Amino acid sequence: MTSRTLTLMVTVFFAIIVAIVFQQIHTSMQEQGIASGGPYDNAAAYPRAVALAIAVLVIVQILIEFGTGQRERIVVDPHGFKRAVGLLAVFAIYLGCLGWLGYHLTTTPMVFAIMIICGARQFGKMLLAALIMSFGFAFIFEKFLNVVLPGGVLSLNIPW
Amino acid sequence: MKLSRPLKTLAAATMLIAASTSASIAEFPERTVELIHPWGPGNAMSVSQLIAKAMGEELGVDMPVISTPGAAGTKGQKTAMSRPADGYTVFDGYVAPLVLQPVLGNADWTYSDFKPLHSAVSNAFAIGGRTDETRWSNFEEMMEYGREHPGELRYSSGSRNNLPHMVIAKVLQSYGVVAQNIPYTQDGNAVKDLKSGVLDFSFINVGNYIQDKPAFNIMLVLSELPGAKASYDGAPSIADLDIDLGLSGLAPMGWTWWIVHKDTPDEVTGKLRAAMDAAMQRPDVREAIEKVGFVPLDWDHTQYDEVVGPVSDQLSAMGNALKWEEDELKKLR
Amino acid sequence: MLFESLLAGFQLFLTPLAIGLTFIGILIGLLVGAMPGLGPLMGIILLLPVAIGLPPVAAMGFLIAIFVGGSCGGSISAILLRIPGTPLAAATLFDGYPMAQKGRAADAIGIAISASAIGGLIGGAVLIVASPLLARFASGFAPPEYAMLAVTGLFAIAIISGGSLIKGLVSGCFGLLLATIGTDEFSTGYRFTFGSHHMLNGFHIVAVVVGLFAISEMVHQIVGDDLLKKPDIKVERPGFGSLLTTMRHWVNLLRSSGIGVFFGALPGAGGVISSFSAYAIAKAAAKPDERYGEGAEGGVVATESANNATVGGTLVPTLALGIPGDASSAMLLGALLILGFVPGPILFEQEPQFVGGIFLVYMASNVFLLIAGILATPFFVYVLRIPKFYLIPIILILCSIGTFALQASVFDLMVMFGFGLVGILFRAANYPLAPIVIGIILGPILENNLRRALLISREGYWIFLDRPVSATLVCVNVLLLTGALYFAFRNRKRLFSRQES
Repeated sequence: MTSRTLTLMVTVFFAIIVAIVFQQIHTSMQEQGIASGGPYDNAAAYPRAVALAIAVLVIVQILIEFGTGQRERIVVDPHGFKRAVGLLAVFAIYLGCLGWLGYHLTTTPMVFAIMIICGARQFGKMLLAALIMSFGFAFIFEKFLNVVLPGGVLSLNIPW
Repeated sequence: MKLSRPLKTLAAATMLIAASTSASIAEFPERTVELIHPWGPGNAMSVSQLIAKAMGEELGVDMPVISTPGAAGTKGQKTAMSRPADGYTVFDGYVAPLVLQPVLGNADWTYSDFKPLHSAVSNAFAIGGRTDETRWSNFEEMMEYGREHPGELRYSSGSRNNLPHMVIAKVLQSYGVVAQNIPYTQDGNAVKDLKSGVLDFSFINVGNYIQDKPAFNIMLVLSELPGAKASYDGAPSIADLDIDLGLSGLAPMGWTWWIVHKDTPDEVTGKLRAAMDAAMQRPDVREAIEKVGFVPLDWDHTQYDEVVGPVSDQLSAMGNALKWEEDELKKLR
Repeated sequence: MLFESLLAGFQLFLTPLAIGLTFIGILIGLLVGAMPGLGPLMGIILLLPVAIGLPPVAAMGFLIAIFVGGSCGGSISAILLRIPGTPLAAATLFDGYPMAQKGRAADAIGIAISASAIGGLIGGAVLIVASPLLARFASGFAPPEYAMLAVTGLFAIAIISGGSLIKGLVSGCFGLLLATIGTDEFSTGYRFTFGSHHMLNGFHIVAVVVGLFAISEMVHQIVGDDLLKKPDIKVERPGFGSLLTTMRHWVNLLRSSGIGVFFGALPGAGGVISSFSAYAIAKAAAKPDERYGEGAEGGVVATESANNATVGGTLVPTLALGIPGDASSAMLLGALLILGFVPGPILFEQEPQFVGGIFLVYMASNVFLLIAGILATPFFVYVLRIPKFYLIPIILILCSIGTFALQASVFDLMVMFGFGLVGILFRAANYPLAPIVIGIILGPILENNLRRALLISREGYWIFLDRPVSATLVCVNVLLLTGALYFAFRNRKRLFSRQES
């Protein structure tokens, strides 16, 4: 990957953001009647101005970066990259299941999986650590901070 | 994978706990009951916390207040409605999301879509100006000034399209005065800008008034109830005006009536009602509420329709006041 | 008035909960400061959900103590591991690590902690005297002044936050745009909500910030290959004697703390700039035999007193104007708003006892820093040896429960994850994250006051030039931007000419 690829990704990201702003102004806000008028009624003028500022600044940034002709190679360790993707995947699955299966069924496996991704292999110790972490935090939050953690479809909630 | 012995015990214990908790609902309530409050932190939320704490004590569980502000209270109402109807979610049914937004056509529910618990509190508000104002000294004179200078007066009702805005717009419409409402996210800032001369008048609640009585000239208390007049030290109220605004009882005031989902089991609703009735009757709770400038209400669930119904009718009747103000302002631009 | 508010503050502060949490906050602050990659901002972000369920003064004591402890904790790892736990401690490394190599690690840590505590207390004295004065001056500020102040804050952070000016401004604008999501206060219409009731009030700031900073940091950490390693370090125990050693450098202490407070009170500058400046000045003023860079006590004194004095300085505009000086104080401001207190002149007028309570928790946390820092250092050294494969899942759980606890919403978790991805992209492309937080906090202040000012005005934009304070701020903003553009352009030209030659 080069710095130019990254610039491209960021540019695409901001282009999407700016496009969403204009799309929303011309559809949803227009329908609500808040895309025109004075400061009391016009809710679109300010986000439009900010989005335009972003667009102009990003274009200037691209011109500068491409103008200097620099093209740094960014070296990413392939193992590190795999670990990062693994972490994001596990975490995404965890968050997706949290509401459905509840906190208590999902957290220990998530912690365990992250440890495996990190390369740890002492499974007994890891399981113990994962259990202590997940139930320890649950205890602190539910007991002292009155948080009701997601129970999931089985309504698993521990009355500490 | 080999498990050490203490680990097995731990795992077994965990499963046991898990199994014992997944059993069906034995006795309501077995965990915390949440109150969904439609405003940000402030006087109103403190009052709800007071009642929730007392009600939680009656129920034997904690009752945290979850603040979910946004869209004139609609966000809180929608959040609460998306929860299961198991009695573990109580709504802080403020007039704006419960009655006013449906009347304005911004919501697809009405007040009769919910089961009422006990009425909670009300608070009256007033139109206030500065004491060092030279252009007028009372409400009638200000209205005269406003008629002569259409679109010149700047006032704040807090946020746009809230209950104070509706009531003030109605009053201004009755006098034929067009003024510009300036929305503020924090009531405190509106009051500050009133004091420093940026605004000409503003809505003042009892809490603002108590904090700095000498700073305000309370020109009109927006309630005909004698109690409201008394909390503003006898300032003139809408009952003293020559014109009839068609507002009475709770209609021009802010109030909340705690409610639950319509499908909540009767047995659970009964327990919640009993707990809230008991909480609202406690002298310590009432005293604490009054200290903030709010008034504890005495209606129980049986009176919900007879009290809330007329409010809804009166607010519907004045529905065009806000539209009138918008149209007149547009004409002036 | 000052004494009354402090006296009233005592009632709020002298509760077991407030004192206990301030103490725990210091421990947590030292911990997150010492652990490479975390730092005070991350500590505040991760524990904000815990704090907002507490009584206000206890909650703020907890968070401010994390800020104070976190600003000092980085020195421990800088001295022992040669890795500054936070960028704030990067300058502490110059003399702290050589001291450790000479076998004076315990002294170095002791001096770092004492200098931090004293610097913090000096910063506190300025905070207590200056912020009520600033608040009184600002009590006549109306929407035009606040709109212009917000612009100043945003420009300042974008310019100073390091790296490219343009990238800083883009990040700031992105924050401003995020702040527009939800219900518009003026038209009462919905913006960018896509018909979802979750978005009626925009994204929750904590969900956004946890994702941007914490999730992206965990991904950054897991890319590294030292996940299983236990750093091999000796446990050191500093003594209270180092307080005396530090006091001997009193001129340096006062000067560096002064520099720290000054940079703290300027929006955008913050602790890194102040600790490097204080170090440079101390080095310039030192006698030749002090040997800066080879383990001079004065070097540690200068950087550590400066970066903790900065905390007191940053709180001045945060409390008195409601305009945060850096990302950490922006989060403190966010916490204050969630707790129901709006920083600014009104807070000083209406809640003097609460302001007094904040002053007291700030002072107390610096005293606790001295005690806890010296007694508990062996514990932090032990924690530094915890390998990352335990640390990463702990932080991920904390992120998830904390974000969920905000409003019991699974949607917030999705938001957190989404902004984690955004944070990774921004980090990779060298877009600074701090201006986003400032943008989110300043966004509503800017937009609402701008529109309010225009509604109040009877002659359009002239209202900004009609009022003296607002007109001054307009000039400051124009100067800031032209100055920044001028310097950016000059550097650019230099870069080009260098390439051509």
